[in-house]
Amino acid sequence: MEALGLNLPKLIYQIINFVLLMVILYALLYQRVLAMLAERRQRIEQSLKDAEQVKLQLANARRDYDAEIAKARQEAATIVAQAQERARAQEAEIVAQARREAERVRDEARTQAVQEREQLLREAKDQIAELVTLTASRVLDAELKASGHDKLIAESLSALGRRN
Amino acid sequence: MSSRNRNILIVVGAIIAGIAARLLFPMGQPAISVKAEEIFGIPNFTNSMLVLILVDIFLIVVAFLATRNMQMVPKGIQNFMEWVIEMMFNFFSSINKKWTPAAFPLLATIFLMVLVSNWTGLIPGFGSIGFCHAGETHGSLALNVQDPYAGLVPSPFAAAEGESKYLGCQPGESLVALFRAPTADLNLTLALALIAVFAIEYFGFRALGVGYLGKFFNLKGGPVGFIVGIFEFISEIARIPAFMFRLFGNIFAGEVLLIVMIFLLPLALPIPFYIFEVFVGFIQAFIFSVLTIAFIGLATEHHGDDHSHAEGAHH
Repeated sequence: MEALGLNLPKLIYQIINFVLLMVILYALLYQRVLAMLAERRQRIEQSLKDAEQVKLQLANARRDYDAEIAKARQEAATIVAQAQERARAQEAEIVAQARREAERVRDEARTQAVQEREQLLREAKDQIAELVTLTASRVLDAELKASGHDKLIAESLSALGRRN
Repeated sequence: MSSRNRNILIVVGAIIAGIAARLLFPMGQPAISVKAEEIFGIPNFTNSMLVLILVDIFLIVVAFLATRNMQMVPKGIQNFMEWVIEMMFNFFSSINKKWTPAAFPLLATIFLMVLVSNWTGLIPGFGSIGFCHAGETHGSLALNVQDPYAGLVPSPFAAAEGESKYLGCQPGESLVALFRAPTADLNLTLALALIAVFAIEYFGFRALGVGYLGKFFNLKGGPVGFIVGIFEFISEIARIPAFMFRLFGNIFAGEVLLIVMIFLLPLALPIPFYIFEVFVGFIQAFIFSVLTIAFIGLATEHHGDDHSHAEGAHH
């Protein structure tokens, strides 16, 4: 044994040294590193789970969004249709009103024209009557005074011109 | 000149330079001692213990630096040590998943301590820096190799009157190295073997209770079962010297191999052996820890009873 260098104190020293080293490395290295590895594994699993969750939520949100959009589009279409309907009704009313107005204006114009014509005719009749009366009286007066026709005609004409 | 030719030239040049150096500077005998030598005149304090303390300090400092400021996203030494520990853990788990968590501190410490200890022996200066003592190398198992080149060529560098022609220790003196790989000391390998076997038995009892003893003292299996149990017991005990001499033998032989190669030719020749010894150092650390977990796996298995019953019935 001595030739091989084996002896008890050295052996005990080696055993104590190994056990101490194992305890120190366990506290300082293995425990911490293994805990860190476990924690990291757990965190990665959690992250994957979270990512899956987020993906799901995203899909849900997307679906909700699409549904909202479809609904909004439908509502918009309804609103547009209603507006068009109302606009058409209004248009029809406006056109009808305009037509009535036009009718009225035309009728008024026609009535007025008829009245003016009648008035003109009446005035013309009056003037002709007056003229006839005047002319007759002049003719009669000249015959009586036996004065010339020419003078009578000229006077009648100038009287006519003054009136007009 | 092609790179191949250049490499050949470098190797040939190194060999020639090595031979020339060897002839011009005769060496005393190389220091090869089976046992670790005491240094500084302190009783029971050997050069391998000194290096073991340095190995301890190295491992503790690395452990401290790796875990001082742990980050969720690791980098640098933390990353490296996490890689080392995860690799070990996964590998031991692949051999025995159930008992690895409980045995991991033991297995990992065996692996790291043996690996670093083995590799320290390869650091230049280990085995060559030391003190010259009068007398032949200690211990009856010490190798005594005389310099085969001594006197072939007179050295011009040590020609002065009264000066020795030898570098380092003179003939009749022997070198006591200051540093020695801790695993090249039987005290360490025996201590590890005892700890490993103790742990194996501990896990055996922990898994099977007192029934674990039934593997060795099998009274239910008839005479054959009893004899098989005795053989089991012997093979269990034989694991101690097997562990002890496997590690010691490989590392000590590696050192001797390197010393002899350097002694024969200081340049070029030792390089492939150095590479080989790096590999051996790893393999031995690996084997020691893997065998420990494998034996723990065997010790904690339940196969004993049924197996020996069947065997006993057949014969």
